[in-house]
Amino acid sequence: MSSSTELTEKKVFLLKSLDGVIFEVEESVAVQLEVIRELIEGDCARPFISLYNVTSEILALVIEYCKHHAETCSGGTSATIADEDLKTFDNEFMNVDENILLELCSAADYLDIKSLFELTCRTLASLIKDRTIIEVRKMFNVENDFSVVEEKAVRKEFAWAFK
Amino acid sequence: MFDMVTGYCSAEVLGHNCRFLQCRGPFAKRRHPLVDPTVVAEIRRCLEEGIEFQGELLNFRKDGSPLMNRLRMTPIYGDDDTITHILGVQYFADAKLDLGPLPGSLTKKFTQTSQKLRFNSSPHGIASNMNHNSSCGVCALMQLSDEVLVLKILSRLTPRDIASVSSVCRQLYDLTKNEDLWRMVCQNAWGSETTRVLETVPGAKRLGWGRLAREITTLEAAAWSKLTVGGIVEPSRCNFSACAVGNRVVLFGGEGVNMQPMNDTFVLDLNSSNPEWQHVIVGSPPPGRWGHTLSCVNGSHLVLFGGCGRQGLLNDVFVLDLDAKHPTWREISSLAPPLPRSWHSSCTLDGTKLIVSGGCADSGVLLSDTFLLDLSMEKPVWREIPVSWTPPSRLGHTLSVYGGRKILMFGGLAKSGPLRFRSSDVFTMDLSEDEPCWRSVTGSGMPGAGNPGGVAPPPRLDHVAVSLPGGRILIFGGSVAGLHSASQVYILDPTEEKPTWRLLNVPGRPPRFAWGHSTCVVGGTRAIVLGGQTGEEWMLSELHELSLASCHLI
Repeated sequence: MSSSTELTEKKVFLLKSLDGVIFEVEESVAVQLEVIRELIEGDCARPFISLYNVTSEILALVIEYCKHHAETCSGGTSATIADEDLKTFDNEFMNVDENILLELCSAADYLDIKSLFELTCRTLASLIKDRTIIEVRKMFNVENDFSVVEEKAVRKEFAWAFK
Repeated sequence: MFDMVTGYCSAEVLGHNCRFLQCRGPFAKRRHPLVDPTVVAEIRRCLEEGIEFQGELLNFRKDGSPLMNRLRMTPIYGDDDTITHILGVQYFADAKLDLGPLPGSLTKKFTQTSQKLRFNSSPHGIASNMNHNSSCGVCALMQLSDEVLVLKILSRLTPRDIASVSSVCRQLYDLTKNEDLWRMVCQNAWGSETTRVLETVPGAKRLGWGRLAREITTLEAAAWSKLTVGGIVEPSRCNFSACAVGNRVVLFGGEGVNMQPMNDTFVLDLNSSNPEWQHVIVGSPPPGRWGHTLSCVNGSHLVLFGGCGRQGLLNDVFVLDLDAKHPTWREISSLAPPLPRSWHSSCTLDGTKLIVSGGCADSGVLLSDTFLLDLSMEKPVWREIPVSWTPPSRLGHTLSVYGGRKILMFGGLAKSGPLRFRSSDVFTMDLSEDEPCWRSVTGSGMPGAGNPGGVAPPPRLDHVAVSLPGGRILIFGGSVAGLHSASQVYILDPTEEKPTWRLLNVPGRPPRFAWGHSTCVVGGTRAIVLGGQTGEEWMLSELHELSLASCHLI
C-alpha cells in the first residue's frame, strides 16, 4: 500500500497531542500505531488525529521510536543486521527515567504499538526484579501508606519470601 | 446518540478503543476500581476465542457519573473463517452508585463498596479501611491499567519479587491478590510443564497459586504420611519399576521368586477415593525383566528400557499408552541402541525425550555413557550425547531434570580405580548447549576433606531424587553407607552460584526404607514410596508419601 504512494508523494498525517502540539508523520510511521492505522483505513484521519492520553513529550518519543523502526525495516539492510540495529536502538531508547518509561508504556498500550508496548513492559519488569521493597518505593515514588499494624501483618505474610 | 448518553462528542471518541468509558472522566488514566476486572477479562477471552460476549460493564459519562453498559459483542466471520468485524451493541442504563463528586477524594461510602470488589480478601484485614483518603495517589506505577501492570509486567517476575511488590503500598498489595497473576508467576518460575502437571492435582487448585508458590518456595508444608491402599500385586516381587502418569502410579515387571523375570503391569489410581492396585490387561507385553527403568513421556505414555531378562541384559524399548482404549506395549526399534544394561538411570526431557545413563553391562562392567531417544519423532533414533569427559561409571544413581533442559546426576555405586564405592557426587550437564558437557558440582571428596558443599547426603545408591518446581533437587533413601537414616531429606539448589546441601526437616511418619526403583513423583509435589519394610518383603498395600504442598488427596 505504502510503496506505490511513496513514488508519487509521501502521505503525511497530523497527530495532535493532549497539550495541543501537532506532529507531522509519514504514513509508514503512522501505521505502526495500530489505533491510527484503523483510522486511516476508515478514512477518519483528517484533518488531524487527536490523541488525548499522550503528551507532546511522550508523543515525540513514540514517533522517534516508530520512525526508527520504520526506516530500519524498509532499508536495504539484511534481516540480521536490521535486527541487531533495532536491538541496540531499543536498548538505548529504554535508557530513560522510570516515569517516562511508565508513560511510554501507557502510551504504547493506548496507541496499540505492540513492539513498543512489549519492550516497555519487559523493561519495567526488569527494573522491578530483584529489588527490595524500599527500592521499589523509591524508584516509582510510592508512599508507604500501610499503618504500623498493617505493615507488621504484611511483613509477616511475606516473611517466607525474604528468608 | 452515543454523544447524548456519554457526553463525549464524536471527534473525541471516533477511532478510540471504548476502554476509555471505564475511566471516570476524560482525565482519568486508569480504569475506575469499581469496574469489575473479571468482566473485562471475560471480554478479552471472548475476543481471543472468537465467541460472542454478553454482559454488563460499569462505564462512566464524561462528567464522571456512572452508567451500566449492557454490552453484546458478536464476531462476524468472513468466507475464509477469519473474523472480519465485531458487531458491538451497547445499551446504557443508569447505574445506581453514589460515587461523590468527580474531583473529590475517596468517600467513606466508596470505601465500603470497594472492599467487596477486591480480588481476594486479605487474611489479616490489611487495608480493610482506607480512611486515609488515598494518600497513595502518587504511586507512579498506578498510571498503568491494572491489566497492564498485573498481566504484562508483574507476571514476568518471580514469587519473591511479587512478595516485595505486595509490601510496597496498599494498592499494590490489593493488586497482587490475583490468582491469574500468581499462576503466571509460578509458570515463569517453574516452567509451563510443571504448572500443567500441578493443575492436574485437585488439591493444588484448592490451595491457590499464591499459597502454592509460598509452600514450594519455603517447603514449610512438607510432610511424611503413611497410606494404606487396596488391591494386591501378585505374585510378590522386588526390583520392579514404578512411574507416575498423572495421578496414577504404574508398576511394571520385577524379580519374582527364584529370580523369575516378570512382565505384568499394575496401576494404582490416586484420584480414586479408595485407591487400589489393579492388574491391567495389556496387549503384547514385553519380555519379563528387573532392574529396568520406566519413564513417562508424551503425557500418558510409558517407556520401558533395558533391565535384566531371562536371557540376560536387555536394551530394547517399549512404549504403552495408558489412556488407550486397549493399552498395548509396542516395541520401538532403533538403530545404534545403547549397550544392554540394568540398574541404569533415566529421566524425561521436554516431556518427550528419554535420557538413559550408566548402569551395569555384561559381566558386571559399569557404564558412563549418556543416550537420548526422542520419542516425539515418528521413528525415534538413539543418539549418544558426545562428551569429552564423563563422571566415573556407575549404577543405581539418579538423573533429575531442572531449569528446563539441564540434568543433574547424583550418587550411585561408582567406579574408583579397581574399586566401587557409594557416591555422593553431583554432576550437571546443560543439554541446551551446542556441545553439552558434564560439570562436577559438589562431591564427597576424600574422607576427612573439608566439605564446602554444606551438609551433603551420605554416599548412596538406588536412592530417590525429586526435582522441585524452580530447579531444586531433593535426595533421600537408598542404600546408604554407614549408620545414616535413609529417610533424612537433603536439598540442593543447582542453580545457585555455589550449590550448597541443606538438611530438610520433614515432620510426619517417614518410611524406614525408600528405594529409587520403587518410588515415583506424582503431580510434581508428592513422592510416593511404595512398600518395602525391609527391602526384602514388599508390602505394596502400604505406601509412604512425602508431600511438599499442603494438599492431601486421600
